[in-house]
Amino acid sequence: MSPGGPAATVMRSERRAPGQGLLLVAPALLALGALTLYPTLWVGWLSLQRRIPIFGVERFEGLGNYIFLATDPRFWKAAQVTLVFTVASVALELVGGVLVALALRGQRAGARVGLSFLLLAWALPSVVTAKLFEWLYNPAAGLVNFLLGGVALNWLGDPRLALPGLILADVWRTLPFVTVLCYARLLAIPVELYEAAQMDGAGAVATFTRITLPLLRRILLIAVLFRTLDALRSFDLMFVLTGGGPAGTTETLTVYAYRSLFQAVQLGLGSAVGVVVFALVMLVAWGYLRALRHEGLAA
Amino acid sequence: MLAEFEAAHPGIRVKAEVLPWTSDEQRQFLVINLEGGQPGFDVMMLDCIWVPEFARAGWILDLTPGITPDELAAHFPSAVEAGTYRGRTWALPWIMNVGLLYYRSDLLGRYGFRPPATYVEMLEQIRVIRAGEKNRKLEGYLWQGKQYEGLVVNVLEGLWADGTTLVGEDGRIFPDPERAEQVLRFMRMLIDTGASPGWVTAGDEEVTRRAFGNGEAVFLRSWPYAVDMFEKPGSPVRGKVGLAPLPSHEAGRRAPGSTGGAHLAITRQTLHPAEALELARFLTSPRAQRAMTASGATKPTRMALYHEPELVRASPNLPRIHDLTLAGRTRPVTPYYVMMSTTLQPELSAALVKVKTPARSVADARRRLDFFLRDLQE
Repeated sequence: MSPGGPAATVMRSERRAPGQGLLLVAPALLALGALTLYPTLWVGWLSLQRRIPIFGVERFEGLGNYIFLATDPRFWKAAQVTLVFTVASVALELVGGVLVALALRGQRAGARVGLSFLLLAWALPSVVTAKLFEWLYNPAAGLVNFLLGGVALNWLGDPRLALPGLILADVWRTLPFVTVLCYARLLAIPVELYEAAQMDGAGAVATFTRITLPLLRRILLIAVLFRTLDALRSFDLMFVLTGGGPAGTTETLTVYAYRSLFQAVQLGLGSAVGVVVFALVMLVAWGYLRALRHEGLAA
Repeated sequence: MLAEFEAAHPGIRVKAEVLPWTSDEQRQFLVINLEGGQPGFDVMMLDCIWVPEFARAGWILDLTPGITPDELAAHFPSAVEAGTYRGRTWALPWIMNVGLLYYRSDLLGRYGFRPPATYVEMLEQIRVIRAGEKNRKLEGYLWQGKQYEGLVVNVLEGLWADGTTLVGEDGRIFPDPERAEQVLRFMRMLIDTGASPGWVTAGDEEVTRRAFGNGEAVFLRSWPYAVDMFEKPGSPVRGKVGLAPLPSHEAGRRAPGSTGGAHLAITRQTLHPAEALELARFLTSPRAQRAMTASGATKPTRMALYHEPELVRASPNLPRIHDLTLAGRTRPVTPYYVMMSTTLQPELSAALVKVKTPARSVADARRRLDFFLRDLQE
């Protein structure tokens, strides 16, 4: 790094008219404010009301909706389902994504075809994926039970199997995302590193834990951030496949919010759930941003 | 059909808007647009269970002044009832549906059985037929146990078959909680004893229709739409399917099937109320309903069409479906129906898959609904 370079850049930018930077980002900030901040605040305000527009009920309720949520077993069940779903599917996607990326790296010729097939799964609209899995999980004629040796597992109707079934469907759908990220990073690792490791007599495990994994770390952090936020908000898979059933064992917070908002038309209650999901997502995002900053990946 | 309407009514142009396939999404679309106050459409199709809710919300026009009672008399009374709220007409009946029992007439005939009048008879027939057929893949009774509106309908029919109901005179659900628990216990027992396969807890109309259509079950509870599919050339059950009323829990007691269907309503904000009513009238006319019936898929709300020779030739079960529909009963006609149903769905499902006892499910559903309805009793 030449001594004059970066410092000179900083000097120049400080000589700009004050507020010029703000002026430049103002349109973006305005758009963000209109599209994000305003609805967020509005939902927060709604969550403090008892509002059932269809029936003309509209009054301030304070924390009543939150108190109802706190004492509602169905809400806690939805929170639990959301967390289990998020942790399990993100963990499986990370492990699976890395493994598939490693397998693809070894065979550059086949990798392109393999990647295209994988991306197909990721490119499918969720509703199509959901319908596909409805067929795969069909207890009488589905492929999954056939592959398991003709068992008669009631995937979507058994409270013990429905959530694992959804997690598997989600892993199938989003594993390619992690794979592609990792594969791209793997290609960028200089071959010399591996040659050196080989000369030093490092085995496959040591090579993986000492070289590959540390170099994948940053990209994995980014993958985790994206996937966790997605999983916390996931809605379409469960909505189409199980409708939250059986017995609410696959009802996530967003499905709960949807049911409150559009079916029970409890705008206040549904908004309160929205606020909870929002807080959860912000919390996770904040945690990851801290981690990324630690890695030097974010300002 | 719209082209024909436009030709007959110069000066009126109709634009059709296709809504999402599922009922849930259609309702969401309508609720958002109507709540926004600028719906952008005049005539809309409503699932019959939404009519009182939309009427109470002030979203649809009171059609009473423009409709004579004679006009409505040609439709099934239960369809007219579903379009009526506070004694006024809010929507015109368009498409009809009723819950009924499909049975394998070949299998029942082989063992000398008639369609079962009670569940006890049905269970006995299932036992004998399955023992005699020695076909491990042959299931007994299929119904819809997935967590969705269909489950509420199945439970409702179970309650009626037991002589009780879902909404009491005072507007509370489960006026007779013990009866309701008993009905839920019975449905669990169907699964426990193998009379119904375990997977009915994930079964909706299509899943169960396909299994029965593949010849994999003796009995199926479903809607009339399936009958033409069973009779299609190449269907494994072609010519082997009969239609009967749902069984009851007690000999001599009627067990009505739930009626369903769609109505046409007009938005309150419409700029063209007269033209919109004209269109709704046209689409629900004998002529239009005849064309829809002839094309298969839907059944009409006009009773006379079920006996028209030409339609009956194409679909010989029509007169039978007429009788079953006439004996049917509407789901509770209340603005809170959707709210009730969505509250009930996970609770009923929990009882079926044994996450909760029936008593717990019934109590939890009541408590939750009380919170929702707190300010709403009329």
